[in-house]
Amino acid sequence: MTLHLSIMLWIPLAFGLAGLLLPARLAPKLALAGTLLVLGYAITYVVGFQSSQGALQYVTDETWIAELGISYALGLDGLNLFLVLLTAILWFSCTLWATFWTPEHAADNPRLFYFHLALAQTSVLGALLAQDLALFVVFFDLMLVPFFFLTGIWGGARRVHATMKLVIYTLVGSLLMLTAAVATGVLAAEGTDPVSFAFADLAQRSLSSSTQNWLFLAFAAAFLVKMPAFPFHGWMPDGYKAMPLPVLALFSGVLSKVAAYGFLRICLPFFPDASAHFQTLMLLIALASILYGSVMAFTTTQVRLILGYSSIAQLGFIVLGIFALNAQGAQGAILQSFNHGLVVAPAFFIVALLSARAGGSEDLRDMGGIATRAPVLTTLFLIVTFATLAMPGSSNFVGEFLILLGVFETKMAIAIIASSGVVLAATYALRLFIRSVHNRTGPRVEAREMERRDGLVLVPLVLAILAIALYPQFALQRSEQTVTSLTTPPPATQGEAAVAPEFQIERAP
Amino acid sequence: MIDVVAASKIASPEIDWAGLSPLIAVFAGALIVLMLGLMRSRAIREIAVPSLSIASLAVAGGLAVWQWGERSDLLAGALRLDELTLLLTLLFCVAGIATVVLSWRHVAPREAAHGEYHALLLTSIAGMIVLVAAQNLVSVFLGFELLSIPLYVLCATEMRRASSLESGLKYLVVGSVGSATLLYGLAFLYGATGATDFAAIAGALAASADLASDPLLLTGIALSIVGLGFKASVAPFHQWTPDVYEGAPTPITAFMAVATKAAAFGIILRLFDVALIDVSLDWGPPLAALAALTIVVGNVGALGQSSLKRLLAYSSVAQAGYMLAGVVVASRLGLQATLFYLVVYLVMNLAAFAVIVARERETPLGDDIASLNGLGASRPLLAWPMTIAMLALAGFPATAGFIGKFYLIDAAVDGNYAWLGVFIVVGSMISLAYYLKVIAAIWMRPAEESSTSAVALPPPSAEPVLSGGSDEATGMSAQGEVVGVAVLFGALTIVLGVVPSPLFNLVRDAGEALGLL
Amino acid sequence: MTSVELFAWLTLGFPLAGTLAVALGGRRLPGRGPAYLATGAMALSFASAVATLVALQGLGEEHRQVRAVAWDYANTVGVDAQLSLLVDPLSVFMILVVAGVSTLIHLYSIAYLDSDRGYARFFAYLNFFVFSMLLLVLAGNFVVLIVGWAFVGAASYMLISFWYRRTTATNAGIKAFIINVLGDVGLVLGTYFIFRHTGSLDFLQTFDGIGEDFATNDPDLVAGCILLLVGAFAKSAQVPLHTWLPDAMEGPTPVSALIHAATMVTAGVYLIARMHPLFELAPTAADVGAVIGCLTLLIAGTIAIAVTDLKRVIAYSTMSQIGYMIMAVSAGAYAAGLFHLMTHAFFKALLFMAAGSIIAAMAGQQSLDKMGGFRRSMPFTYGCMVIGGLALAGIPPFSGFFSKDEILLLIGDRGGWYWGLYVAGYAGAFLTGVYTFRMIFRAFWGDPVPEALELEQGHIHHPETHTNPATGEVEDTDVGFPGPEHHIAERETSMKLAMGTLALLAIVGGLLQIPKVTHVIDHFLEPSFHESALFEREPSGGLIGFGLILGTVVGLAGIALAYFVWVKNPGMSERIRERSRGVHTFLVNKWYFDELIDLLVVRPAQWLGSFAQQTFERIFVNGLLVGGATGVVRAGSSAVRAAQTGFLRYYAALLVAGMIGVIFYFLLVV
Repeated sequence: MTLHLSIMLWIPLAFGLAGLLLPARLAPKLALAGTLLVLGYAITYVVGFQSSQGALQYVTDETWIAELGISYALGLDGLNLFLVLLTAILWFSCTLWATFWTPEHAADNPRLFYFHLALAQTSVLGALLAQDLALFVVFFDLMLVPFFFLTGIWGGARRVHATMKLVIYTLVGSLLMLTAAVATGVLAAEGTDPVSFAFADLAQRSLSSSTQNWLFLAFAAAFLVKMPAFPFHGWMPDGYKAMPLPVLALFSGVLSKVAAYGFLRICLPFFPDASAHFQTLMLLIALASILYGSVMAFTTTQVRLILGYSSIAQLGFIVLGIFALNAQGAQGAILQSFNHGLVVAPAFFIVALLSARAGGSEDLRDMGGIATRAPVLTTLFLIVTFATLAMPGSSNFVGEFLILLGVFETKMAIAIIASSGVVLAATYALRLFIRSVHNRTGPRVEAREMERRDGLVLVPLVLAILAIALYPQFALQRSEQTVTSLTTPPPATQGEAAVAPEFQIERAP
Repeated sequence: MIDVVAASKIASPEIDWAGLSPLIAVFAGALIVLMLGLMRSRAIREIAVPSLSIASLAVAGGLAVWQWGERSDLLAGALRLDELTLLLTLLFCVAGIATVVLSWRHVAPREAAHGEYHALLLTSIAGMIVLVAAQNLVSVFLGFELLSIPLYVLCATEMRRASSLESGLKYLVVGSVGSATLLYGLAFLYGATGATDFAAIAGALAASADLASDPLLLTGIALSIVGLGFKASVAPFHQWTPDVYEGAPTPITAFMAVATKAAAFGIILRLFDVALIDVSLDWGPPLAALAALTIVVGNVGALGQSSLKRLLAYSSVAQAGYMLAGVVVASRLGLQATLFYLVVYLVMNLAAFAVIVARERETPLGDDIASLNGLGASRPLLAWPMTIAMLALAGFPATAGFIGKFYLIDAAVDGNYAWLGVFIVVGSMISLAYYLKVIAAIWMRPAEESSTSAVALPPPSAEPVLSGGSDEATGMSAQGEVVGVAVLFGALTIVLGVVPSPLFNLVRDAGEALGLL
Repeated sequence: MTSVELFAWLTLGFPLAGTLAVALGGRRLPGRGPAYLATGAMALSFASAVATLVALQGLGEEHRQVRAVAWDYANTVGVDAQLSLLVDPLSVFMILVVAGVSTLIHLYSIAYLDSDRGYARFFAYLNFFVFSMLLLVLAGNFVVLIVGWAFVGAASYMLISFWYRRTTATNAGIKAFIINVLGDVGLVLGTYFIFRHTGSLDFLQTFDGIGEDFATNDPDLVAGCILLLVGAFAKSAQVPLHTWLPDAMEGPTPVSALIHAATMVTAGVYLIARMHPLFELAPTAADVGAVIGCLTLLIAGTIAIAVTDLKRVIAYSTMSQIGYMIMAVSAGAYAAGLFHLMTHAFFKALLFMAAGSIIAAMAGQQSLDKMGGFRRSMPFTYGCMVIGGLALAGIPPFSGFFSKDEILLLIGDRGGWYWGLYVAGYAGAFLTGVYTFRMIFRAFWGDPVPEALELEQGHIHHPETHTNPATGEVEDTDVGFPGPEHHIAERETSMKLAMGTLALLAIVGGLLQIPKVTHVIDHFLEPSFHESALFEREPSGGLIGFGLILGTVVGLAGIALAYFVWVKNPGMSERIRERSRGVHTFLVNKWYFDELIDLLVVRPAQWLGSFAQQTFERIFVNGLLVGGATGVVRAGSSAVRAAQTGFLRYYAALLVAGMIGVIFYFLLVV
């Protein structure tokens, strides 16, 4: 088969549209087929990827809107390769999950549901593959539309209010990013050469430090809100409570990573001075996210929110790694993005199974004691829990090890404080595990083993977790080249960064 | 004095009929339908009159396309024939045709006699064409009035509905204040520069630098801004907009929303980017301030509106603010961005208004948002266009609205008005709150008991969503043309959002026509 | 792959295979099948450990440090973490002890856990633990070490809360796990400090260049070593990170024997021994280790005298004994520390097994207050208990005597303030004698309790309602609770076999290293410590003799005191308690360490959480950030709508006003 990225990018949407037009009973099968196809493509890409070279691979580059200098450029490199794989894996599992998900959603228009799911996958893949700033913005903002519908139509209590809050709040950042993106393209051109948003061109051009600063902040706003990072997580509790679980698994597993990826793909290379200038600020935000998220996670009893706040903490680690501004940190961040997605999705699936056994309640206080009758589920849950708390031996540990090492080498104090987050993680993760499956059996709990179809979703994900835990090098070696070229900028720009103020003074007249 | 008159007598201007042909077609159409309207036969009045109006508009549009590429002065330089004129002419014709289609079975024409109704509509369009073609202060005012007066009447055509009459009256009174202001402004401009012709005014301004700070000129500019801003419903001269839009018959509201705004912006572009281009430093900043104000007021005002027409009225105010940003920068990029957005804006709004028209007829709720509840389940063919239109107005990607906004921000940043770009997106953020509310009503709220059509229908999952189905059939037969308009423009919104290049070429020609850098 | 590497991998592989086999297929096997499977795996593992030993001894002295690399683990951007083992005398010594004792304890468990509903799960966990422990001691670099380190912690957690429907068990489990994670973090940060200078995570590379990388007492190195010590203390239950160990007794008794006495808790000792090149360059850190070890051995000893829970007594004695070992390896007495590690593994495992046997006879009851007079009904158990006790109390010729004496001897030989440790060590030895025999006397002497009498009738006591001895809660005997049956050594060959072997080892184990006579351990370990300055030391004969005598005397004195108080004149202990109530409560409350930690760590964290939950999230995040923005917009919207009165005159007026405004702008500003 041909390895044209566009094929993988548009497969989901194509299948989604087909499902929209064909009879309803076909919709789930089509959606499943689409995600499976994408998964196949993604695996082929990962296997065929040349670890030895850091440059883009499988490149597609067409002009889309010549008048605006926007090109339709796609490509894979170390930064996005495994996020694409993650997207493919999770979408397959969650679509499979959705096919036998709660009964009530089967009632109203499944075709629409799977269409939005597919649209979401295409837009996420687009944002990951895009090699043009405008194209990235297009897909990044488009991501939100399907989730608006998925939450608003198939969500839980107060879903409309929640989905409004979710979309508006997260778009506040994204729209600022729109202006910033336009400004980046226009100002980088400096009026002389034609405006272009292609990453390749932007990499050649440079912006003055002062410009970089406000552009950086606009992008950071978009990404931090989307993650979310403390204190921009105001939308998270409502949104998480209202989202249907399969959708939530995707949202929490993938979309937050796209934001983190944005920092690596856009902020670091195009705003190097600003990234250095705001390094401490970003590190402190990350630190606050880690501590705050963890503390919240071990005080709340809403299982969804435990995972939600734990994601805030995990994303905090990822940001920490990115803004270590060195190779170890970036490597750790990339690996950790993949790991967290791979772990949080099964966690949400398990939450669904748990609440199904606790009379539909998602409150820890109504759970407990199901391990007696559900040993297999408990074992899988235990593995997921250990991975969540980044126990050494899990790939999450390798990620956090590299992240903290990277930060340790730049800002020792922050690394040491951040490491307390590891202990807190152990606390909330184990608390979740014990109180939901151990101790005395809760009053409304009826313990039963998970069904075979549940295994279809859960077991592959757990196996993937184990596989990457056994051989994280598989991921690390593929991102190494790109990361090193990203974190060690050519001397020229370094020099400019060093003498940026003088540059300003010379440019003034 | 005398010899001036003599001279004018001797050299009677030769007329470029080809250039005038679109205008002539529209005028002719107006006269014919007026006559036909007097006929007894109901068939002629209800079928022939609208069809003829459509025909004449189609012809006018066709002629405009035929004329594309022509650049010449008409009627001794009173009017200018160039791509700007032609593009907007085309736009007016499309808007006009859509309006006629939407009012096909509407109550307004029946009450106000089809002849008059359509004749007034066509006259107003003719006025718009004159206005955007005008390159002479006199013809500006001529076009301005020619477009306004028929609209005053059209707003009041639902004679049995008090609010319709009220809106007509309000529009008339406030509108005359606006016109008067504009008239003063034009007079001052003439007084300051001693010329009525745009080229001559530009020349005068280029000749003497100190003219830039001449109070007479400045007052003139100020008054013209107010007058034109009024028509384009720029804050703080926007207040008539919600009331008039709400009261007027919905097809007319749609027409005013898209065509009038386009006409106003057409002349604003020509006046400021041609005649007053040299003093752009004078009018740039205040116009930018007005743009910012308009964006905020429009978006903030639209929040918490339960009437769709009022909501779209405020949104049109906000959108006017966005487009003003394109004028402020006084560059070709800005001009093109504004024109681009005008077209996009037309497409988005016509889709939305078509749906409103349909629902007004189907439910007793009128234009209340509740009339859309459960639409996604019951009437996908109306739900999708409305959804797309709202997303586009909010500026979501993959719709024309996104490209339009992108283009405007591009122009703003390029013209060193980056802060205006920020204002545009801040406005969009606020706008999400009310646009999404509409979408939520469509997809996420259960259908009202009262909206019978929605309740009676089986769940759509039984039928393919996009290709109608039996439940559609009823709707189709009732008002297929309205649904058609909605679907057409809804689809167009997406198409222009994905392949905008053709439109880019059109606006580029228009941009070159004005010879800006 | 050389034979050494092959056998090392096999040693590691068998338990892992056993885990998977039992976990996946265990519940399909009939009766004791899973247990035989697991035990077989362990036996094979021990066999390959022996084979490794043989193969290693086959190599020349200087080649006895073998790196076995499986594959790159995280070998990127300057980090060189491979999945590598380091096979050298030290690690082989450890795997022999671990695999050996584990095999015996598996054997014991076959019968002991027989009726438990979680039979297969238990053996899967047990095998997994052994695998982790072997990984820990065989690790060839810091990352693998940390992995093994965390795995044993996880296994320990899973086995502590093996009876997971007991809240007491789950609480003990989470406590143990979190303190161990704290240790892991210490280990990781310590690694960073060292990696920062050495640029390598591999042990051999780190140690080779250590002299160039660090000056003596280089602050980074000291910080690193102290952080490593945090890891060691958390794992080896040293003050103040010891509070989890007594609670860990919630686990089944074989678990206490294996993990919380013989193997895992001694990991800290191994760590310091393994890191000796670093600690010798950072004497300050080493001294910290020695002092903490010394404190622990005293504190634990005093507590062990006061507590009445049989298993907790042994647990505190374990703490105290590990205190000796930590003190030893920190003070450079590596061979002695490891020697004691080995002997302690023998007799302490033995003691726990014996305790398990009594507890079974008591139907799960662990309190010494309720025991007594089992001497006649459980002769075998009694015999093992006494042997273990004598070895623990350090009475010649039992193994404990030689190893403990060797430690104190070498510490005393260091001179200077180490004399303080020397004295404290013997004081601790005295305490050891007292609490050990207090335990034995109270359990086996005196007049028999009903359970003992019932047993003499040839019938093990079984209560009609099963309760949690710690809380008295009523329980069923389904999965997650102890099974209905109890098994004592007298009736189970497999238990007898295991305990008998250990008793033998506890007796003769000391002969490996008799001062001036045999130096088996010294010579064997020498290659691992070839570059050590402190390894080769020959204490003076006088000191040796003095130490041997003193040790004997002190041990016997302790036993005598115990006899005098708890046998000769019963009721005396009550009188003492009456007289010194303050001291007693202080000891019974374990020096209030739990309360202290609760006050300093747990409470603040919980308060912080509830503050964030109730106050911060609501007021700041939702109120200010979200509410604030929307509030402004709402206000604006209402303002605009207020201006929309609908009155013409009003609109006209505003239009004119706006117009005037614009005009003025133009006339004044421009």
